[in-house]
Amino acid sequence: MPELGRAALVATLGLVLWALVAGGWAARTRRRRLAQSAQNALLAGFGTTTVAAAVLVGAFLRDDFSFVTAADASSRELPLRYAISAAWSSQAGSLLLWLLVLTGFSAAAVLLNRRTSRDVVAWATPVLGGVATFFAFLLVAVASPFETQAMPLDGRGLNPSLQNPYMMAHPPLLYLGFVGLTVPFAFAIGSLFARRTDERWIVATRRWALFAWTALGIGQLLGAKWAYEEVGWGGYFAWDPVENAALMPWLAATAFLHSVMIQEKRAMLKVWNVLLVIFAFSLSLFGTFLTRSGILSSIHSFTQSSIGPWFLGFISLVVLGSLALVFARLPLLRARTRLESLVSREATFLYNNLLLVALTLTILWGVAYPILTEAVRGEAVTLGRPYYDFFLQVFGLPLLLLMGIGPLVAWRRASVRSLVRTFAWPFGAALATGLILLGLGAGSSIPGLIAYSFSAFVLGSIALEFTRGTRARRALSGGSWPRAFSDLVARNRRRYGGYVVHCAIVLLAIGIAGSSAYDTVREGKLVRGETLAVGDYRLTYRELEETPAANATEIRAVLDVRRGGDDLGTVSAGKNAYTVERQVSNEVGIRSDLVTGEDLFVIAEQVNPDGSVYFRVFVKPLVNLIWLAGFVFLLGSLIALWPDAREQRRLAVRYAAAGATSER
Amino acid sequence: MAGKRSPARLVIALSIAAALAVFLLYASVAGGGTPSLAPSELQGRTDRVALAGQVVGRVTGDAHAGGLRFTLRDVKGTRTVPVVYEGSVPDLFRVGRDVHVEGQLRNGTFVAVPGTLVTKCPSKYTPAKNSS
Repeated sequence: MPELGRAALVATLGLVLWALVAGGWAARTRRRRLAQSAQNALLAGFGTTTVAAAVLVGAFLRDDFSFVTAADASSRELPLRYAISAAWSSQAGSLLLWLLVLTGFSAAAVLLNRRTSRDVVAWATPVLGGVATFFAFLLVAVASPFETQAMPLDGRGLNPSLQNPYMMAHPPLLYLGFVGLTVPFAFAIGSLFARRTDERWIVATRRWALFAWTALGIGQLLGAKWAYEEVGWGGYFAWDPVENAALMPWLAATAFLHSVMIQEKRAMLKVWNVLLVIFAFSLSLFGTFLTRSGILSSIHSFTQSSIGPWFLGFISLVVLGSLALVFARLPLLRARTRLESLVSREATFLYNNLLLVALTLTILWGVAYPILTEAVRGEAVTLGRPYYDFFLQVFGLPLLLLMGIGPLVAWRRASVRSLVRTFAWPFGAALATGLILLGLGAGSSIPGLIAYSFSAFVLGSIALEFTRGTRARRALSGGSWPRAFSDLVARNRRRYGGYVVHCAIVLLAIGIAGSSAYDTVREGKLVRGETLAVGDYRLTYRELEETPAANATEIRAVLDVRRGGDDLGTVSAGKNAYTVERQVSNEVGIRSDLVTGEDLFVIAEQVNPDGSVYFRVFVKPLVNLIWLAGFVFLLGSLIALWPDAREQRRLAVRYAAAGATSER
Repeated sequence: MAGKRSPARLVIALSIAAALAVFLLYASVAGGGTPSLAPSELQGRTDRVALAGQVVGRVTGDAHAGGLRFTLRDVKGTRTVPVVYEGSVPDLFRVGRDVHVEGQLRNGTFVAVPGTLVTKCPSKYTPAKNSS
């Protein structure tokens, strides 16, 4: 079996190398047959990678521990569903997942676009082939997932904290996002090579970018939920470099999704958009590099890691090569229109972009700082939570405010007087919210209070947008209010889907502000029968239970929960002792209040031999809005992603016209 | 002259200036980061640092009563330093693991800041290979 896997990978390498070399030559010399052959090689590469992935997953499912990767990350007791996710928990396995998703996406992107934008696809093929060649090369020559050994009796088992449903979905979703950004990147580079400077690459890859961005966003939320429930320190995001690795491309892609709208509407910011997509793609490579190269523990361990230097070389090649290409095409990318006023829709998009990029760069600086200081001074200096929190407030709060302003400002030029009239309602909502919350005692955290007021402002302006749109729609075509409303959304999916996503971001902001700025924490050692008061909760430690499970022994401390005079039932927190992996993991107890969105979060930090337990208990207001935001985010993205026949017709007409002019 | 230029450039220039100003503000308010050192580099340092090393020897005491006592050794070396720590102990903490803890050296013992102990796993996704 491992021979089949290795052979499939070698075949993939050959195929994608053909896509790179023959595809590049075909695009340069405009040979259509050869270009077709290169594209078919890309499609076949997906097939061979699938075979390799099937062999690897098969090894995990059959508990074939002669595969080193399977022995390292699986065991006989490991439940089947986790055996599949264990397949990509290793370095080589995750690279194979990258390649699988990449070849799959490349095949789909080529098939979907080769008829409508032939010249761009002809050039995008070698770019996609080039990226795939890099990963296939790593898998064949540097980090093979098919190394074998004499079969041991059992595997080492999967890290217990990864034996969690969220961890089954989190890595693949992040990879869908990371890899998905390759497609817009390849098309952007492709159209630069093809000397095509219109926005066709943007239109062709808009849904790819949106899809990648959605997957990345949902993947990160699942990761946060996993950290919250499974890692169990009482938070959901810790500015860990591994988390930042996924956040940075998401922020860059957010900027990209906004700025392309300006190019589509006003043919501005062409250079900026290309730079943003290069930035986002490089960051997704950098993210994979960070999590996989070992550079985070130290530069010294990085130079010993097998894939690290290769990754760094490839990232440099991508960045420098793309920038050189953009520089060579600068004269073609000059915009014919320019910003007319600093108070206009375009300008708010520009501010939004600057803030997002600034936030991304400060995070990048924070991630790179220990690496840079170790290289320069020989002593790694880390920037901690205060650094990131500071910049999240400095750049994030204005972004939140802009989200309320942008949608209501007119394109080209807006008069200040009309703005004052437009913003009367949202501003009133923000002011009222701020004052009421101040009265309720939210003044204990100024950033929290600002975040709440800004959130009210954004929600006010989104509600205003929906009301105005629905009213106009109803005036135009009559009918009932709900009818007019659904018509409105259906006719402008991208715009109103975007507003729904904005609502999700507001929920996220409220959830983060509530749970981080207004949380309560108490801790103490309790013997049976003793009580701990946290906020308005009273917890009484009742008993310690021990139950054997399939692959672990579960120890739980059971607590009775009361609030005011109400009995809220019990919550249990404890530890799992995993037999094969010989590890202990914290299993926190969480009681969610679905009405207020508040969580009671109990950690049994230490279980003593005499039966007493050291507890740490948090009350986290509004934290459930963060998870709710995930659903709203997905809904908004789906609205914006949904196929739109009207849009297709409009584009077809526009392309026909553009094609006629370009062939002239 | 200014009227001919695109205001976008003005915006970009101003925002770069603003970003720099914010950065300087941050640097002056919050100071720099925390240096990360190995036990062998700790000699003579009394400022607050992050200590990275491998847990060796015996682990004694109670992290919630009087403090957990253990010894950290250079990950690749022999120099050791005794550590006393109070607060949450991560699941993965035990002898043989690489850990990271913040604090100050006082009279030859590294006194940790409560709650700063974290295990440095090689990666979140791979299990440690030193379990056997």
